[in-house]
Formats: sequence, structure tokens, C-alpha cells
Amino acid sequence: MTILEEPIKEVLALRNYIGGEWVESDGEIVDVVNPAPYKTIAKVPISTRDEIDAAVESAKEAFPEWRSTPPLARARCLFRLKELMEEHFEELSRIQTMEHGKTIDESRGETRRGIENVEVATGIPSLMLGSNLEDVATGIDEYLIRQPLGVFGIVCPFNFPFMVPLWFAPYAVATGNCIVMKPSSEDPISQAKIAELAEEAGIPPGVWNIVNGGRTVVSGMLDHPGIEGICFVGSTPVARDVIYRRCGETGKRVIAMAGAKNFMLVMPDADLGNTIAACMTSFYGNTGQRCLSGANLIIVGEGLSESEYNQFYDRVVNAFVDAAVRIRVGYGLDESVQMGPLRDEGKKVKVEGYIEKGIEEGAKLVLDGRKLSIAGGWPETCFLNPSVFENVTPDMSIGREEIFGPVASIMRARSFDEAVEMVHSNPYGNSAAIFTSSGKWAREFQYRIQAGNVGINVGIAAPMAFFPFSGMKDSFFGSLHGQGQEVIRFFTESKVVIQRWF
Amino acid sequence: MEESSVTASAIINFAQKLEDSSMSFYSRLAESFAENKEMFLSFADESKKIKVQVVRTYQETISDALEAGFSFKGLDLSEYAVDVALPEEVSHSDVLKMAVRLEENASKFYTDVADRSRSLLATIPRAFSKAAERRSSRRLVLMSLLDEA
Repeated sequence: MTILEEPIKEVLALRNYIGGEWVESDGEIVDVVNPAPYKTIAKVPISTRDEIDAAVESAKEAFPEWRSTPPLARARCLFRLKELMEEHFEELSRIQTMEHGKTIDESRGETRRGIENVEVATGIPSLMLGSNLEDVATGIDEYLIRQPLGVFGIVCPFNFPFMVPLWFAPYAVATGNCIVMKPSSEDPISQAKIAELAEEAGIPPGVWNIVNGGRTVVSGMLDHPGIEGICFVGSTPVARDVIYRRCGETGKRVIAMAGAKNFMLVMPDADLGNTIAACMTSFYGNTGQRCLSGANLIIVGEGLSESEYNQFYDRVVNAFVDAAVRIRVGYGLDESVQMGPLRDEGKKVKVEGYIEKGIEEGAKLVLDGRKLSIAGGWPETCFLNPSVFENVTPDMSIGREEIFGPVASIMRARSFDEAVEMVHSNPYGNSAAIFTSSGKWAREFQYRIQAGNVGINVGIAAPMAFFPFSGMKDSFFGSLHGQGQEVIRFFTESKVVIQRWF
Repeated sequence: MEESSVTASAIINFAQKLEDSSMSFYSRLAESFAENKEMFLSFADESKKIKVQVVRTYQETISDALEAGFSFKGLDLSEYAVDVALPEEVSHSDVLKMAVRLEENASKFYTDVADRSRSLLATIPRAFSKAAERRSSRRLVLMSLLDEA
């Protein structure tokens, strides 16, 4: 076992980045803990209301000059940021593993996805183009201009500390807006590093601000009249009942991306070998802590007799469990490891609670991830191994609620229609996938399923940066989504000019 | 039964080490065997390029959504390792034999990982296949030299 070199050697003292300056906070200081060795790697401030206000004021001050900076010049800042991210690719990736716990392959994948958003945003001179039509009436022309609005707040989740903020930040800045970002206080180091690179890339003071903290900072953003809109990724109760509601009350634009409970259908004609590999990544990748993770695996018996279905069901369950039991769990900087720890101890306790609930509600625990096997002998504090439940029904807690951990719930459906009904009975609609060799079933699934991100033989239906990251039902609150053209519209006002010359 | 998997990160790390040791091996041969100096230097240079291409392809293709941790099944990386430490007194034909073995293993490694990475984006198996072809061509050149020796 070789552990890759850790880029963080000493405990970092993180600060806020406001108006191009790294400033100390007056707030309480809390630890950022690397969950695998369970060691403090940084100290982060929980900033005050005055500090978020100062950041918004600084962003407001920077806005007039930044919005009048030619889009080409803004794009060049982002080209430089992209180049700096490429130069620091490995360091950025290893930081994510240290602050979050994910494996190094997962971190590098996250870095790449983040950089891709910066790449897409560099196309802003084309993406922001308006449109026009001559002679809407005799001698009158009409045209549409996209204009930036001002200052946007970005509230980041813990599960993708590098990538998720980049679904928004580069587009906001490219369109001529300024941002105030609140990284997750659980893993804020990536965003501090990105702000350093943004500064080096020549993004002017006040355009890109970081205010570390918690609820006070978020409330400060929501209440501040100087903030035009909020981008949020987190749980459904907060997205719906706090962010979406408060933005409605204060007249702010909002993208609120929320929780999930994603279903994966395995049809009898699925390529089982590739399906299982895809399922392992989907259910256990990022230790199950992602909004696109597979949660419920429905084994569908469409067209099979009872005995054929039972055989097929057993084959899938056995292959799934056999693969899950082999997943090597440990510190993500150990390259042999396929699954890291949960982000913190509290999250582990929550997942354990769901495992208890699943047993109580009558599901069969065929693989118990509480029996730990950790490569490298790291402290058990945040670790769980993969769990698999059988005989789960959609009404059970483990079949209905978001667990956000490495637990798979296997369900039975005798037909495709029954499986679709099971998916639709769940309040979430973030993602769903089907594994099949049949174009008919794939098409039917894509057509009918109520989920924003659909996988056809793909376990993690993660949209590329030039597509919107979608979501439906209780998984999304707002109108326009993050990434691509939709987020360009979110960050711009459509102004229409009708012109006549006498 | 499912076979255990090797992570993409471990595969890339192995490829880097393989090319680093190949570079150093051929650079040393170039110093010691003047008759094939140009060829050995070109092999060292080519290994440097293979390393850059493989790492770049991985870093530009890797995505959190790919099955990077679960694609490379049934591989034992130690089977591809070759000891390229040169003894003090070693003949020209003996180093050629060592080089042939190195190229055989390297070619087999890249072929095997290319086969197992087909479910990833096309650029990854393509990069591995290209590396396998280069190492295989080197093996043929070395074999012909060995026949002449």
C-alpha cells in the first residue's frame, strides 16, 4: 500500500477573500478534518453578518467596471484560470481527497468536470450573443441583448467541494456578474485554492469573493438587497423551505438543487457484467454521497415466467453483492482503494441509523457495511463498507428517503410498468437509469420517466458542462438549471430593444 | 465470481513508473553500447512521450461518472514488472534479451489495460493501444538485433 503524497502538510488557517484581499474573520473558528486519518488539516472561520455584507458591498463596487469589461477580456481571464487549474490539476485533486475523503480517481474526475465548466464559460462571447430581427414593422428593428444583473450568491455543498461551485461561478463571472461564494465549512479548502488561482488569473478585486461560514452567511445572502440571485445545492428541506421560499419573498432569482433517491432498473436483457461495474460506481462512488448516486436497484422481470424471473433476480443480486463485497475501502490517497470514508462521523451515524431502520422495517440485509474492513488500518470513525438490502419496498424508509451513503436497496418488479410506477411514487426526480439491450425499453424509459437526468446503460447520468444539470420534482426548485446555456440565461437579463429612426 | 479490480489511478501510476524505468534503462544502455546508441536514445525519448500521452489522456478523460475504480478487472500488476537493473558486467546480447523482455511485458500490459478500458471514453483504450503498438514495434527491432548478435 502506497499513499500518494499529501499536498497539505500543516494545518491551514483559511481566511475570507473579499475585494481581492485575504482577510481574517471575527467569527468562530472550526476544524476541517480529513476523515480518513481523522486529522485536522485546516481551520475555517464561521463568518459574521458584517463580513457577508462587506463582501456583497465589495462585489457591488466591482460590478460596474467588470460588466463593461469586454466579454473577450473576461473570457481571457477564464482561459488563464483554466490553464492554472490544469497546472495544479494533481494538487487540486489531492486536496479534494484530503478534505472530503473521496478516492483519488474520483477527485481527479471532479477536477476535470470542474475545469470543463471553466472551458465552456470561456465561450462567453458566443454564448452571450443576443438576437435581432429587422423590419418587425416597417422601418422598425427589434433586438435582444443579454445583460448581467449584478451580484450573485453561491452556496456550496460538501459532497463536491471543487466541482459544484463551478457549475455556476465561471458563468456568472463570464457574463459580467460578480459573485460571493460560501464554500461548505466541512471542506472549504478547494474553493480557497480556486480563489487564489482566480486572483492569479487576473480576475479583478471584488469580482470573485469567498466568505466562509454557515447559516449566518446564507441568511445574510438571502436577506441582502444587493444580491440578485442565489445558486444553492444541498438538501431538499433547505432548498425548498429556506432558499426557494426566501428568494421568492425577496424577489431573487434562484437555482436550488436538492436531494435525490435515484432508481436503477435492470431489465432481463441487460449486459450484466457492464451493468454491475456501472452500478458499483453509481451506488458506492463518492461513498454514496452524491445526488446522482444509485439508491434503489429494481430488478425487472418483464416477459419472464416466475421461475425465470427468480433465476434472473438471484443472478443479479449475487453478482451485485459479490462485486460490492470486494470493494476496497480505505484512504482515498491509497491508489488501491475504491471507496473512501463518509465525510464525517455524523454522516456515518445517520447511515447506520438507516441500516437499523431497514432491518426494523423488514428488509433483508444481505451485506452489512457496518462490519468494517478498512485497508491500511485507518481510524474507523468515518468509515463504512458497502451495504446491500434485499426485499425493499418503495414505502420503506430506506426505499423512500435519501440515505446519502453506501447503501443499496434492491427491489422487485414483475414488469416495466410496475417499475416505472415505483419510480414515480417517490417524491424525488433527480436521476434514473435503465440497463437494457433493448432500444424499445430504453426509449420508453427515457420518454416516460419523471427524472431530470436519465441514464441509458449509464449509472451516473451526470450532464456535461455544456448541458444543463437537470432535476425534477423535489430534487429541484427554480426554473433554469446550472451549467451550459440555461445558466447563461439565469445570470443575464433579456433586454429587448425596439428601434425606429425618424 | 466477480474478479477484483485495480483502480485507474493505480494503472496510470504503473504506466508512469514503467516508462520512467524504461527511459532510465535505455539511457544507460546508450551510454554503454555505442553500436546502438541512437536507437536506445530514441527508445528513451519515446518512453518519455508515451508517459506524457498516457497521463494526459487519463487526466483529460477521467470523470467522476466513469467506472474508473471498477473497470480493470483480473489484473495483477506485478506480472508486468521487469527488473531492469543492469549487472556490472553484461554482454550486448544479454541486454538485448532484457530489453526484449521489457518490451514484451510493456506491450502486454498496455494491450491488457486497453482491453479492459473499453467501457471508458474511447480516448483511453486508444492511448493504451497506441502505447502497446509502439512497445511491440520496439520488441521486433530488438529481436532482429538479437538474431544478428
